[in-house]
Amino acid sequence: MSEHDVERRDEALERRAREVFEASVEQLDVGTRARLRAARQAATAEIESRQRPAWQGWLPVAVAASAALVAVLLWRAPAESPVPVASSGATVAIDALEIVAAGDDLDLVAEDLEFYVWLEQAGLDGPDAHDGGQG
Amino acid sequence: MMGPATLEVVITELPEGGECSRREEACLDAAETLDRFLACVERRAFRIAQMALRDRDDALDVVQDAMLHLARSYGARPSGEWRPLFYRILYNGIRDRQRRRSVRSRLFGFLPGSRADEDGPREDPLERIADGAPGPDRQLMADEAMQRLETAIAALPVRQREAFALRCLEGLDVAETAIAMGCSEGSVKTHYFRALQSLRAALGEVF
Repeated sequence: MSEHDVERRDEALERRAREVFEASVEQLDVGTRARLRAARQAATAEIESRQRPAWQGWLPVAVAASAALVAVLLWRAPAESPVPVASSGATVAIDALEIVAAGDDLDLVAEDLEFYVWLEQAGLDGPDAHDGGQG
Repeated sequence: MMGPATLEVVITELPEGGECSRREEACLDAAETLDRFLACVERRAFRIAQMALRDRDDALDVVQDAMLHLARSYGARPSGEWRPLFYRILYNGIRDRQRRRSVRSRLFGFLPGSRADEDGPREDPLERIADGAPGPDRQLMADEAMQRLETAIAALPVRQREAFALRCLEGLDVAETAIAMGCSEGSVKTHYFRALQSLRAALGEVF
C-alpha cells in the first residue's frame, strides 16, 4: 500500500470517527443535557461572583451603618438647644424668644424693646435679682 | 510533564482561537463569553469523559468539576486560551477518577458486588429519551458504529487515546493538544500517528 493510500485511509477513518462521534453527541438524553446546563450555569455564576468589585460586598454594611448614624443624630437633636443666636457681645435671653413664641404683637415688642432690655438687665444683674426683690 | 511556569509561556504563544471574534468578545462580559464557550464544548467533553470512564455519572461529575475549575482559575484569561486549558483540567480529572477507581478495586475487589461499575452504567431508562432522534435503523447503525469506535479507542494506550480524542474528535490543533496533554508537540504527533495505525487495524474497512 502506497503512502498516499495510507493517508487517504487515515483521512477516511478520521472523517468517519468524527461523524459517528458527533452523532452520539447529538443523541445525548434530556437528563444529561439538563445536568450539563446546570453545571455550566454554576461555573458562570462563579465567574460573575469573582468579577463583582470588593466594595459591593461592603455596601449593605455601609448602608446599615449610615442609617444607624442618621437615626442617632435625629434622636439626639431635640436634646440640644436649637438657638444659636447671639447679639452685640451678649447672649440673647431665652425670655425674649418666649415672648416672640407666645404670639404677642411684634410691633409692641419693637416699641418697648428698651423696656425689655432694661427689664432683663435689672432682673439678671441688679442687687434684687438674687433675693426676689425683697429688701 | 510541564510545570505551571512552562504552561504560562506556551499559552502566551498561542494564536487567538475560538468562535468569537475579538470585537464580539469586547462587547460581551466574561461570564457571557464563558457561558458560550462551555455551551460549545460541554457535550463533546461529556462524551469524551464518558468514553474514558465508561460511567455517565462519573463523566458528568468530571465535566462539572472542569467547568468550575476553569471559571475559578482561568476565568480572567483570554477566552482563546480556554479550550486547551479546559481539556487539560478534564483529563486530569479523568486520570484522577481512574486512579481512585483502580485503588478502590484493588482494595475492595474481593468483596461481592464491588465490581458493579463494570456491569454497565447505572442509568434511569427514562433519561435515555433523546432529542430529535433519527429513525430506528439509522439510530441502530450509528449506535453500533459508535460502540465499535469506543471499544477500539478503549483498547488504545492512555496517551494515544487522549491524542486521538483531542485531535480527531474534539478538533484541537497540535499546539492546543500539547497543552491539554501536558507534553511536546512532537509527542502529540507520535501518539496520534500510532493511535491512527492501531484504529485502522482494529476497525478495518468496514467502519
